[in-house]
Amino acid sequence: MGTRGLAAELDKLRTLPAIGFAIVGAVLTGVVIAGALVASAAAAGTPASVVEIVLAAVPFVQVPIIVLGVLPAGQEYDGRQIATTLVAMPDRARALAGKTMAATAVVGLGTALSVGAALTTGVIAAGVAEVTLTSATAPWRLAGAVGYLTIIGLLAHVVAVALRQLVPALVATLALIVVISPLSAGLTEHARWLPDRAASQLYADTDALLTTATGPLGALAWIAAIGTLAAVRFIRLDP
Amino acid sequence: MSVTGLLAAELRKTVTLPAAWAGIGVAVLGSIALTVLNAVTTRSAIDAGTPERVANTSAFEAAFAAMPLGTVGAVVLGVVMISSEYAANAADAGGGRQITATLTAMPRRMSLLAAKVTVLVLLVIAVAAVTLPTTVGIANAVIGGAATETVTPEQALLRGLGGALYWALTGLIAAAVTLLTRSGLIAPIVLIANNSVVSVSLLLTNLTPLAHWLPDLAGRRLFAGMDTVDGGLAAGPGALVMAAWTVVFLIVAAVVFRRRDA
Amino acid sequence: MSAGRAHDRMVGMLLIDQLVKRHGTRTVLDHVGFEAHPGRVTAFLGANGAGKSSTLRILLGLDRPDGGTALVGGRPYRSLRDPLRTVGSMLDGSGAHRARTARDHLAWLARSNGIDRRRVGEVLDQVGLASSARVRVGRLSLGMGQRLGLAAALLGEPQALVLDEPVNGLDPEGIRWMRGLLRDQAAAGGTVLLSSHLMSEVADVADDLVVIAGGRIVAAGTLAELTAGYDRLEDAFFALTSGDGGARR
Repeated sequence: MGTRGLAAELDKLRTLPAIGFAIVGAVLTGVVIAGALVASAAAAGTPASVVEIVLAAVPFVQVPIIVLGVLPAGQEYDGRQIATTLVAMPDRARALAGKTMAATAVVGLGTALSVGAALTTGVIAAGVAEVTLTSATAPWRLAGAVGYLTIIGLLAHVVAVALRQLVPALVATLALIVVISPLSAGLTEHARWLPDRAASQLYADTDALLTTATGPLGALAWIAAIGTLAAVRFIRLDP
Repeated sequence: MSVTGLLAAELRKTVTLPAAWAGIGVAVLGSIALTVLNAVTTRSAIDAGTPERVANTSAFEAAFAAMPLGTVGAVVLGVVMISSEYAANAADAGGGRQITATLTAMPRRMSLLAAKVTVLVLLVIAVAAVTLPTTVGIANAVIGGAATETVTPEQALLRGLGGALYWALTGLIAAAVTLLTRSGLIAPIVLIANNSVVSVSLLLTNLTPLAHWLPDLAGRRLFAGMDTVDGGLAAGPGALVMAAWTVVFLIVAAVVFRRRDA
Repeated sequence: MSAGRAHDRMVGMLLIDQLVKRHGTRTVLDHVGFEAHPGRVTAFLGANGAGKSSTLRILLGLDRPDGGTALVGGRPYRSLRDPLRTVGSMLDGSGAHRARTARDHLAWLARSNGIDRRRVGEVLDQVGLASSARVRVGRLSLGMGQRLGLAAALLGEPQALVLDEPVNGLDPEGIRWMRGLLRDQAAAGGTVLLSSHLMSEVADVADDLVVIAGGRIVAAGTLAELTAGYDRLEDAFFALTSGDGGARR
């Protein structure tokens, strides 16, 4: 039943057109942004490394990843499908576990594809545009970027389960990650505790206080807190 | 149906949507929260004798920094006004959508759209009229005489009006895009993401100066003083370009809406 | 094989006992109780808002009761393993996401309960949706959405069927087909519980009646018992639901 639940959730994601669009969007974002960043570097004559270019694309790529993270739970509330899901899988904890695993899988897929697309584009475009390439600093940061994007996708998932609505979950997560977080970072140093700021230590490692280890832990604490609230709502409340 | 009847109906439909209040709440309460945060940080920096720690000690700037949240609120309002018409209710197959009721009650689609546009603009203006004086008042109360105001009242008024215009135009573009796509997903993704610090349009200006003519960048100078981009259009022409984009989006959406089956 | 048949009877039996459900201060269900037996079609009758859907939602484990129990074959729905193989249900139309095709909707449902994929094509044929299998749910008409909901209910070849307003939106041919389906299910030893506010439909198909008004059961018995002394079921219904002032609050 555990694997059946996961298989059913993966079936749902595979047959939902919006998921396909979001994955294509994630790949296209990676390609377009990496291409644009290489072209700007070439135009400005500044040397860059392909790793730096891919990392600079991460703040843009996170937008389609948020969409991917919101959809697995959000689709249930876009209409009445949630009732069908719970009638078929009445054990709420298991249903939620299956859904969370499916969400992680689709977010991981989107992340890997978009970072891969950005990397490939960076390598090809840097060759074509004759950018002066510096030696790649810390290629492990690419893995950090994948980890960061996965965390952002999972955050979007728990927000969607907690809010039990599609568009509000999307707007709330987008507003937090791409509007409130950058705004408050310019206002107060406490903004480092926001989930995306903390998780960004995985690939940026710029904070004076948080490290590559503690930053992501801080972000996971956010996910655990919102996820617990979401799970309690999902398991206890009438849909 | 009379013009006032149409307007009243659309206004009532919008203000009875919980999602519309979420948008208004983000704009008003979110801006107040950010202003408080910003003003307190600024005040403590001044009191600690290290005003250089913050970018600016002006109370007006402290309040105005929260403007992007108003844009989020306007996008939400623009989206929900349209997407609520197309959301399926209990019966997920067939005609269980409000648009059917709306169009049978108000079959003249252009009047309907005009009413929606008017209500959206009125709501955004109302939100601005509440948010801006409140946040400026809070920032002044917190920072007070500790710092000298660098923004003159005329500038403040002009930028407040400019910011409200930017909100309204972005909200209208959101409504037009939602009407075109009949989906509440596309407009928030593009407009919220692109009006933030991580703006694709801003990145594109590195490639071609034509990107300064995109709607969000053209209107960016309406906020003048904040996130100022080098180059690009001045506030006046920029506002005209952004307004022109808005009109084009609305006309395309209107033509499609008129020809399409509900 | 009498032991096996006794077991089947147990599995398909639906038991509702002393259900109470409140929304805030409003009592939606006030100690509702009745049974639906294998081999019989039980009709759950009541006006709009009388508490039919609330009862069925609790029976299907969607909502929690504030008191009482609802059991399927002696067990709460939420504890059933692969529930679609025991109870097939339809609430509120198709219950499918608008952007998915009819076939894809049934495919994930089958997967979630370990039902053979072959059943998807079979039930689509059975409800007359074979030609619309690849149509997105949002493009189906109301009646076709209703048929898709029925296909989902039949998917797991369940012993019991629980259907909320099953003839809603069906054309006359569809209503006739539905009547045959329900009778066949009961004849094969299955349990059928359907809610309805359409008296003429119910009179043609039901063996047993349960009448709810204002969140309380006002009458239960066989069709013959409840309609005794009245010309039509409709007359009996109005006498039962309006005659007793205590049923409404």
